[in-house]
Amino acid sequence: MIDALAWIEQTRLSLFVREDFYAYFVLLIFHAWGMAFLVGGGIAVSLRVLGVASGTRLERFRGFFPVMWLGATLAAVSGLGLLAGYPAKALTNWVFALKFACLVAAALLVRQMARGAFPRAARGEAIPARARVMAAAALLLWLGGVAGGKMLLYTNTMLLTTD
Amino acid sequence: MLPEDPIFDAVGIMVWGLDVGIYDLMYSAWGWTIAEIVHFTGLCLLIGTVGMYDLRMMGLVRGLSLAALHRLVPFGVLGFVLSASTGFLFVVSTPDQYLYNPAWQTKMGLLALAGLNMVLFYLTASRRLKVLGPDDMPPLAARLFAGASLTLWLGVIAAGRVITAFRPPAWFWCAWCA
Repeated sequence: MIDALAWIEQTRLSLFVREDFYAYFVLLIFHAWGMAFLVGGGIAVSLRVLGVASGTRLERFRGFFPVMWLGATLAAVSGLGLLAGYPAKALTNWVFALKFACLVAAALLVRQMARGAFPRAARGEAIPARARVMAAAALLLWLGGVAGGKMLLYTNTMLLTTD
Repeated sequence: MLPEDPIFDAVGIMVWGLDVGIYDLMYSAWGWTIAEIVHFTGLCLLIGTVGMYDLRMMGLVRGLSLAALHRLVPFGVLGFVLSASTGFLFVVSTPDQYLYNPAWQTKMGLLALAGLNMVLFYLTASRRLKVLGPDDMPPLAARLFAGASLTLWLGVIAAGRVITAFRPPAWFWCAWCA
């Protein structure tokens, strides 16, 4: 695995991310914007399912899904760029897997809410208790995703394979 | 070597931080990490509530009553308080790295503009939104306020992300120094 990481570190993309003054920070900006839209949209949906802004039609929160998709795409593409720059830093750290797992689980919960609670709300039925539990769990998982991302900076055991 | 600064006393701020325990808290094993997690959680809360409200007000998302959706905004205020209070802890812990940092100064400028934009919105365009239905397009003034709000908050995030790229003394801005 270390050999593969060392090979990635010598690719032109990896060297560009590390050596260009702007590249790393431009990626960081897009990653923050992407995460803010993805996690932010997820928080909005979860808060609504939990009963905040209950005067709005839950099923119309679907309108925020394209924003979340845009955020996820920005975060993923910029995240791959950051990963290319310092592959060993993230891929040798279990916190990276935890961050990813939290975000995927939170997104799946939002999808589940959209399939279960949204059509019920559209028919004028009450939001089931199960959906509220899912929303609370999703909120915690979004927070876990953000926390994991910040912890990456402080928990890595190596920056580059040459360290 | 710190400059002659007639406004901010970077050393005095740091000594105060030491006296009240902020410095020890931030430089404890997980202090800085937890503050960063709270800072970014606040940011996500803000974009998730005020940002989503802005998108509806811009007309990019329809079908949601603006008056009802406004109930999300207090959570955005909570997010702002989380981010601002942890931001305060960062600045107190290493003041010279922020006060004279071009990116941080830009961030504070954008923050002030976002605040001004919000005040002007609530003083003017917000009243006409209460009568709008869920599918109505808000008036142009409201759409412009919303666009400015979202752009400024994204600017605040961008400037915040590049603070570490412009660290003093390599980069040094102090227009008010002697």
